[in-house]
Amino acid sequence: MRTRLQQLIACVGVILVVAACGGGPAGTSAGPAGPPQQGGSLTTLVTSGFAGSWPSGLDPATNTTGGANLSHMNAIFSGLFKLVADDDGGNARVEPELASGYEFEDGGKTVKVSIREGIEFSDGTPFDAEAVAFNWERAVDSSCTCAPRWPLVEEGGITVEGNTVVLKFTQPYAAVINSMVVSNANWIASPTALEKMGEEKFKMKPVGAGPFKVVSNRLSSELRLTRNENYHKQGRPYLDELIIKSVGGDQPAYQAVLAGQAQVFEGMVTTPLIDQAQGNPQVTVTPQPPTSPYVIQLNTKKAPFDEQKAREAIYYATDVEAIRKGLFGNRYPAAQTFTGPGGMFHDDTVPGYRTYDPEKARQLVKELGGLTVHLGTIKQYVAEQINTALQSQWEEVGIKTTIDSHELNSLIGNFNSGEWEAMLQTAGAWDPAAGVGVGFRFDSEAPFSGVADPELDTLLDDAAATIEPQERDELYAEAGKLISDKAYAPFILAFAPTNIAAEGVHGPGVTTKIPPVLVNTGIQWDEVWMSQ
Amino acid sequence: MAIVEASASPALLEEAGQGRFRGWLRHLELIFPGALLVLIIGGCFVWPLVAAVPDPVGGDVLESNLPAFSEGHLLGTDPNGNDVWSRILYGGRASLVVGVAVNVLGLIVGGTLGAVSAHVGGLLDAVIMRVLDVLIAFPSLVLTLAVAQSLGPSQVNTIFALAFFSVPAFARVSRAATLRLREQPFMTAARLSGTSGRRMLFRHIAPNITPQLVTFSMLSMGIIIVIEGALSFLGLGIPPPAPSWGNMISQGQQALSATPMLVVWPCVVLFLTVLAFNLLGETLRARWSGR
Amino acid sequence: MTTTEPVTDDAREAAPGAVARLVHSPSVRLIARRLVAAVPIVLGVSILTFIVLSLIPGDAAQLLLGPEATPEQIAAMHRQMGLDQPPVQRYLGWLGGALTGDLGNSLVSGQPVTGELGSRLAVTGELVGLAFVLSLGLAIPVALLAAYKPNRLFDRVSMLVSITGLAVANYVIALLLVLVFAVQFAFFPAIGFVPIGQGIGENLRSMLLPAVSIAFPLFCFYTRFLRGDLVDQLRGEDYIVTARAKGIGPGQVLLRHAFRNSSFGLLTVVGLNLGTLIGATVIIEQIFALPGIGQLLLQAINTRDFVVVQACVVVFAVVAVLANLVTDLLYAVLDPRIRYGNR
Repeated sequence: MRTRLQQLIACVGVILVVAACGGGPAGTSAGPAGPPQQGGSLTTLVTSGFAGSWPSGLDPATNTTGGANLSHMNAIFSGLFKLVADDDGGNARVEPELASGYEFEDGGKTVKVSIREGIEFSDGTPFDAEAVAFNWERAVDSSCTCAPRWPLVEEGGITVEGNTVVLKFTQPYAAVINSMVVSNANWIASPTALEKMGEEKFKMKPVGAGPFKVVSNRLSSELRLTRNENYHKQGRPYLDELIIKSVGGDQPAYQAVLAGQAQVFEGMVTTPLIDQAQGNPQVTVTPQPPTSPYVIQLNTKKAPFDEQKAREAIYYATDVEAIRKGLFGNRYPAAQTFTGPGGMFHDDTVPGYRTYDPEKARQLVKELGGLTVHLGTIKQYVAEQINTALQSQWEEVGIKTTIDSHELNSLIGNFNSGEWEAMLQTAGAWDPAAGVGVGFRFDSEAPFSGVADPELDTLLDDAAATIEPQERDELYAEAGKLISDKAYAPFILAFAPTNIAAEGVHGPGVTTKIPPVLVNTGIQWDEVWMSQ
Repeated sequence: MAIVEASASPALLEEAGQGRFRGWLRHLELIFPGALLVLIIGGCFVWPLVAAVPDPVGGDVLESNLPAFSEGHLLGTDPNGNDVWSRILYGGRASLVVGVAVNVLGLIVGGTLGAVSAHVGGLLDAVIMRVLDVLIAFPSLVLTLAVAQSLGPSQVNTIFALAFFSVPAFARVSRAATLRLREQPFMTAARLSGTSGRRMLFRHIAPNITPQLVTFSMLSMGIIIVIEGALSFLGLGIPPPAPSWGNMISQGQQALSATPMLVVWPCVVLFLTVLAFNLLGETLRARWSGR
Repeated sequence: MTTTEPVTDDAREAAPGAVARLVHSPSVRLIARRLVAAVPIVLGVSILTFIVLSLIPGDAAQLLLGPEATPEQIAAMHRQMGLDQPPVQRYLGWLGGALTGDLGNSLVSGQPVTGELGSRLAVTGELVGLAFVLSLGLAIPVALLAAYKPNRLFDRVSMLVSITGLAVANYVIALLLVLVFAVQFAFFPAIGFVPIGQGIGENLRSMLLPAVSIAFPLFCFYTRFLRGDLVDQLRGEDYIVTARAKGIGPGQVLLRHAFRNSSFGLLTVVGLNLGTLIGATVIIEQIFALPGIGQLLLQAINTRDFVVVQACVVVFAVVAVLANLVTDLLYAVLDPRIRYGNR
């Protein structure tokens, strides 16, 4: 008996020791970044549940997960436009890249995108307005979710004038350029290569005008890229080889960077690991400036949230400060509207926004005669944690709460059926009009929205159509105020993932901050370099 | 899974009573795992009723990730501020319920299937065995994922999904045991004296194969609890925040290097549980096979 | 597929007289009979997969087209994917293709499944093979040593170790192994697969940690099993008593007699384990970023790419059936007295 116990204790001890030595050896701190160096092979890791999933291939016309596969697509295709920022993530702006500029006419109903002269695809064929128009026509006709939703006129929506492509809309659409950087329309494929290879082969080894060429592509697993000698920028890219690998979780990815099998990990979300990485001099930890806040969507078309009091109770019951501190170590800023500090038209606060007040919440619940809520979210670590915290807080003031997390399939099913009550989601984008922007969550027509308010629709439509930034800002502020006043959806905090880089790796988006257009930052792979 | 299947050979009783010490040791073989099990089951099911244990869910997020032996939190708290000690106890309830339910399902459904199949023989046996062969050759995980995804994750559905692992295994154990039994003289005697098929099954076969099936279930308890954790790893299984040992481990591994204790504690209790069930199972096997 | 049980004999009638002599060769007959018996199993698995997959909610078209797709768009996509045909017709079409080696094209990527599966099979095959070699290679000596002197120190320690292995999930083992052997001491890479073409040494280095993560629980399981069986055999089987009475030493009795007998049971268990092993490869390939079938299977389930899932499952089933065939043959090698089907 005694020996058994001793063995048992010894055994437990072994587990503890093994688990405890996970700290990793202390390394030397990163030296100052010298002048960029040429060469080297870099492996970047992406999480298998999100950016590391590209099941439908990498053809811009059919890649349904393009918004997540920014690294893949930007490395192969570069982009007509790109989102750049100062090193601290400030002063973010869209700049022409393979395009040379754009012009609005007709008060935003026509946009002319001029194409940079003398650029070639990596197969040597010319990158010109014809090629861009070909791609856009193909994209618009595609049945893919990734097809651009431009309000094009029936006839002659896309035309070519010299080296300029002209888009004609039925209504003013000023956000077209800003939303281009989150859209597959930003990536232009070589028409010649497409024709030669056929669609099925092309989606495996697409040809673009980006800094890298595809060597091999194993879907949702590994993409090997090599330097495009034909790249239009002199002396770029710095890297000889870029490998994008899908890995199943933050912990294995972090370990792989520490062990030297990868140099970059895009999109770490687990707070304790980020804390640990920040204490580790072997890696550079770059939290990206958040643009998209978490929001609790409330289904106002259905009980209990067709009643404003019930919605207000949720506002008052939600202690955002506690969630910020307890779950995320004050890492992400609180949000009161659909923008984050990294995005455009951001306001820290909204006048009259209802903040945490348990007494008022209790009072409202009492007046309602009790409140029972089913809160859902997508299966994802951070979202599930927030939901768990929300459940505790709401229960605390007497709101009976059940929570549950969905696969994408069942999430879509829930929204389609309209049977949902509350959903924790992310809203907004760098430009609120772009991609999964604010309209996606708040427009009466949108399938993922729980709000049906014509006033809000008008505000959001006007804001997307307006060119003048000052005016847009005002319209969005008004929309934010309306959402807050009517208690449509409480916002939690603006979240953005963190990028991890091994010592000696430098580059925009990797070791500097660029606001994520949607969820993840578009790393500029042509500028990334590593010391040898 | 077929621990017992090929090994339950008749064995002679070991010469008992080589002094008092041996006798004690024989008792200890039963008492130690038995006491450990009583401790674990009592801890999970009774202790929260009699002692002041915090809630396993609904913790204060401001008290997240406290270390062990913090005030009011014996084993600290998890990232949501839930008390880990309490989650171990309540999680044990879920895990033990799943383990027992899956094994009971396996025992009853699989056990009956195997025994009937062997007893009746002929075409029925061939059909049942082919179906089981299909189930065994079929990657169980796909079946489990399918069940869990079509029914949604919950404790009951987890039990059903895991039953796909246990039923074929139990059926094989039970069939092999019944086949062996058929060759025993008393079975032949019963057959010759015209005992009805049903009576044979209930009076002669069932009591004789039950010990084997029970020991087998002891050994597979731990495996089932661990597999429940693997389902959690893939986003299925018992949905958090409700705790189970399996989902505590799979949640904890997401930041294993930063907060290892969140994985260590459930692993330790799981280890003790598997130890107890294994020791008990082996002791019972030794005793029953010696009978 | 416990091999001591009689096998329904479909092969006997099927054998025509002209090849009678060849057919009468026991090993050929055995292989033929087992192969024939395997056909309905593989067919059954493929039908079962088809049924199971139709029960999973959601479909690839909806996922590809997104939430805003109209029912007409989804119907059009279904036509394009061939999902609009009745299930029986779809199954027969698939079966026809599968028999000629064409497992169809992925619903999501449109790529042919057969080629993709082939290259991934090599990775998973190596992983599982290595895991078997490691687990059996260690379990047999450990179990023998433990059974040689039951209830002594070595036996007790081996029991505690193997119970640890049964209680700790393989993904925890994997992460701990990487923390120690890849991060702390850079002996092995933390992730990634090096094809065998780039050097067998590097290849093995990249596969060792994942293989150990799968092998450790297996090793524990086999050790528990074999040790228990050996002790049972030694305790009282008649032939052991006879052997002892003839004055054969305890080591000889253990190796020559008890182990030889116990190896049958072990073989059976090894064969049966294969199905459950798939679960382990799914998880371990995720953690180590290995481009194997488990990774493909999980992705395909998540995207509802049922053509790929179907192919993966059938490949697994074929491997499981083949593995059982091999165990049967090994049985025959170990003990020529076993006459199959004539019990």
